Amino acid sequence: MKRMWLLVGIGILVLGVGSLGADDVLVMGVTAEPETLDPHVTVDNNSWRAIYYCYDRLVEYEGGTTKLRPGLAESWEISDDGLTYTFHLRKGITFIDGTPFNAEAVKFNFERLFAIGKGPAGTFEFIKSVEVVDEYTVKFTLHAPFAPALSAFATDQGCIVSPGVMEHEVNGDWGQDWLAEHTAGTGPFYAAEWIHGMRLVLKRNDNYWGEPAKLAQVELRYVPEPEDLRMLLEKGEIDIAEKLTVDQIKSLKGVPGIRVFEGPSFSCHYIYLNCQRPYLNDVRVRRAISYAIDYEGIVDYIWQGTAVRMEGPVPIGFAEHIPVYQYPYDPDRARALLKEAGYEKGFTLRLMHSPVVPEWRQMAIVVQQNLADIGIKVQIESYAWATLRAKLDKGDFDMSFGYWTPDYADADMFTWFWFYSENWGLPGNRAWYKNEVMDDLVTAQRVETDPEKRQRLFEGIQWLAVSDAPYVYLVQTKYQLPMREWVKGYVYNPMLLNMPNFPDIYIER
Amino acid sequence: MIPTLFGVLLITFLISHVVPGDAAQLIAGPRATPEIIQRIREEYGLDKPLHIQFFMYISQVLRGDLGKSIRTRRPVGADIRAFFPATFELTTTAMLLAVLFGIPLGVISAVYRDRWPDHLSRVFSVIGVSMPIFWLGLLLLFLFYIRLGILPGPGRISGDPPAHLTGLYLLDSLLTGNWRALGDAALHLVLPAFTLAFAVLARITRMTRSSMLEALGQDYVRTARAKGLMERWVVTRHALRNALIPTLTVIGLSYGELLGGAVATELIYAWPGMTHYVVGSMTSLDFPAVMGVTLVIAIIYITVNLLVDLTYALVDPRIRY
Amino acid sequence: MWRSRLAVLGAAIVLALVVVAIFAPWIAPYSPTRINLRERLQPPSGKHLFGTDDAGRDILSRVIYGSRVTLRICALVVGLTLVIGTLLGLVSGFFGGWVDELVMRVSDVFLAFPALILAMAIAAALGPSLENAIVAMVAIWWPRYARVTRGQVLSIREIDFVAAARAAGASSFRIMLRHILPNCISPVVVQATLDLGEVVLTAATLSFIGFGAQPPTPEWGAMVSVGRNFLRDYWWYTTFPGLAILITVMGFNLLGDAVRDILDPRLRRGP
Repeated sequence: MKRMWLLVGIGILVLGVGSLGADDVLVMGVTAEPETLDPHVTVDNNSWRAIYYCYDRLVEYEGGTTKLRPGLAESWEISDDGLTYTFHLRKGITFIDGTPFNAEAVKFNFERLFAIGKGPAGTFEFIKSVEVVDEYTVKFTLHAPFAPALSAFATDQGCIVSPGVMEHEVNGDWGQDWLAEHTAGTGPFYAAEWIHGMRLVLKRNDNYWGEPAKLAQVELRYVPEPEDLRMLLEKGEIDIAEKLTVDQIKSLKGVPGIRVFEGPSFSCHYIYLNCQRPYLNDVRVRRAISYAIDYEGIVDYIWQGTAVRMEGPVPIGFAEHIPVYQYPYDPDRARALLKEAGYEKGFTLRLMHSPVVPEWRQMAIVVQQNLADIGIKVQIESYAWATLRAKLDKGDFDMSFGYWTPDYADADMFTWFWFYSENWGLPGNRAWYKNEVMDDLVTAQRVETDPEKRQRLFEGIQWLAVSDAPYVYLVQTKYQLPMREWVKGYVYNPMLLNMPNFPDIYIER
Repeated sequence: MIPTLFGVLLITFLISHVVPGDAAQLIAGPRATPEIIQRIREEYGLDKPLHIQFFMYISQVLRGDLGKSIRTRRPVGADIRAFFPATFELTTTAMLLAVLFGIPLGVISAVYRDRWPDHLSRVFSVIGVSMPIFWLGLLLLFLFYIRLGILPGPGRISGDPPAHLTGLYLLDSLLTGNWRALGDAALHLVLPAFTLAFAVLARITRMTRSSMLEALGQDYVRTARAKGLMERWVVTRHALRNALIPTLTVIGLSYGELLGGAVATELIYAWPGMTHYVVGSMTSLDFPAVMGVTLVIAIIYITVNLLVDLTYALVDPRIRY
Repeated sequence: MWRSRLAVLGAAIVLALVVVAIFAPWIAPYSPTRINLRERLQPPSGKHLFGTDDAGRDILSRVIYGSRVTLRICALVVGLTLVIGTLLGLVSGFFGGWVDELVMRVSDVFLAFPALILAMAIAAALGPSLENAIVAMVAIWWPRYARVTRGQVLSIREIDFVAAARAAGASSFRIMLRHILPNCISPVVVQATLDLGEVVLTAATLSFIGFGAQPPTPEWGAMVSVGRNFLRDYWWYTTFPGLAILITVMGFNLLGDAVRDILDPRLRRGP
């Protein structure tokens, strides 16, 4: 009798193990949960990953390129003066909640975006007004010509939200409370279930107006520790793993059954030097810090060939990039500069980082040592991602690691956001830097329509950016995504970093 | 009890408000306009002096409203309800393991005193109470999951969870007849429960051993032996029953230890429980969540201690309150 | 016999810890903080007995210096809680009345939380640093000492020599210090020794979670925490610091057991 129960017990346990992996379900491991599913609220990649394919946008990126193709808009016209964009919308589409998609819906969408007025609204600042011309035509009027305007519509901030969310409105919040946990788009997926702290499940929208997704279900499984994530990937329990460390990916490359995708990206890691703080407000100190860092050590040993050193603020590969001065590793020169500034005795600075990017901690230790060598004592502080961002936004820090990926392939993304004094804090100017000459340059390039003149402006910006050294330009990384070999159909788009193209992915064992 | 609870509320409130920084801005998020921040400030009463905020908080709590988490944007009560079952399942299983294995081990140790089973168990006891839980968890994970591959990895379940009835996966799978989920969840529970139970197991073993030894030396035992009763009878019927009383206290007192140990365990095994949520809230300075969860944990802890005292009073005829 | 063997083992471990901590600069083969990226993540070898970490630092040296951190934490936490707790317990037991009520109520509140949870909350609120973690630990531990002291005070308060001293006109303060305090020391010391192991564990756990020591401090719990993300391929990173914690705590526990057995046989039955 007892033996029988033992066998039953074992049987149940065995059953439990042999149940992994249906072929139309993709499990992706992520180290951070979305903060909200509302595209008008979040500027966080972790949230975009879940949101992007539950919605559509007026224009979309073409496959893995930065070219744009029609999305919810089948065609569009731009006026000669660059101030008016008219979109002709597709017909016969409904949102997942049944609301019809039309020009009124688009207008509502942008009304909501601006009314909520959080991060994503900044992407569309250039818009002055939105008008409904007829049922399927919508007209946007800009304050001033803006070269990357069209690309802005393809970002996550351009997701079109159903007017139906207003049925869930509470206390004038435009439905934010509800949309934080649900999706209301026209996209190939929708958010079916979110068990906080565990997983978010997206299910296929079987009424999608376009090509239906191959996968029936995408599970974003929350695994906070990269090492756990890596182990689950190796055992086949998850299919794609993101945000693994350089060391982990290196050792995964040799593992059978695992493929590591590698592609160039424009993501940059750099250090923000808070120019409003004592010591750091002196450009000599900032230059001294720039001379003190062992860039080669960082690139070779921490990034191990998966990154190149940044050359100025504009990433290598952008059309506007020019080879600018790179500070060599020269501690003597750094010390001389500090002496000249009168800080021979040294001082203390705090350096923030977050466990969200494991390589930051390693770089922090190197930076700490490097700066100690020139007499600056560095106190390392680790904060949760949200806390770090809050402190950046308030300027409550000395130095901090940072990470930036462009929403669209234009140097505006790395200049106007980083150097314009009106963008202090989270919007982009996290060095709290202000230089009137720089302000003039970055605002001028925004409205300049002549490409040659614009390029000259960018050259000036890049040189000034290096000379004023409000940031320590560290590395530009390759994008690496480890996944199981049975995951097919993945197409990489450097503009859609961290957002695998779920609609096209399928599993073939 | 009431003044203690008040004090608990006061302490959690004070701790959460020691944190410098503009809470309204944290809640509003980046790029919020000053109007929105001001609205939030009013909504949460953050513009009032501290003692007023405290009384607002008390009245809120008494109404059952624990506030809204900044991090998850959901009511703290909803978050707690969501994460509590996982912790409960983990700590209860650990407690059961500790008792089921600890008591017999202690008995064996006492009966075979000073022979090798005793020595082995005593070494194990010392190691058990000295072992850092987080390190043990990592070692076990490395051994059984990475190297040997016979147990599943971090997380509560690999496939789909069972239908939600109580939130306790073992129970829910049983009740819905979902055998796959049962096996899946049970396997996932093995390592974390054992890791958590380790120290308590060691303590219970030690306690049982010493009280058994004491009991075995008592007059009535000698009498029973002299009467010619079987050794086994003597051991279980007489000695064990009396030895269990102090062990009961240890069991009760260990519950607090389990809650503390759950913090490290849930972190290591990516267990989506209450203590994992607490740690996340603390690192994100999510003060409504920190206040709410710390309060709930304190209440649970006080309640358990109270229950232990009562049970102790019932079981031990010598004590009368 | 067995008992005394264990006691000796405990004493030996603690002694070794103290020796290592004092002579760290002479024993450690390398600097615990000097980074050397070229020697990153090397396995244990003749050159690096415990291997190197992700910044190329020698783990053996870091573990050795970690003993200093550990001892410092122990000394500070136990020292501060002893002083604060004993003082409060003395005052509380001696004066009784509302003072006693107040101190006991407050300590009740602190004891209402599972220790680690409260320590975490305080450490998180004050900010991640070793100093704040120490403050947090003192905050959760003083009630224990206060109670023990108070218990002692209550039991000897009425004894004759106290009454005699009073009759002779001695001030309360004098009585407390001269007569009562010396008699309280013994159980408090026992308690303190018993607690050392727990202090080390709690400090390590706080650092592991992230609320304690910050880089580059070579604290064992923090090292295990970082090493966790290198577990699969670089097992030495987590193993040695964790082993150090285990052995140290074992030493303190064995020693504590022995001290308890000697000084307070009544408590031998305790957990």
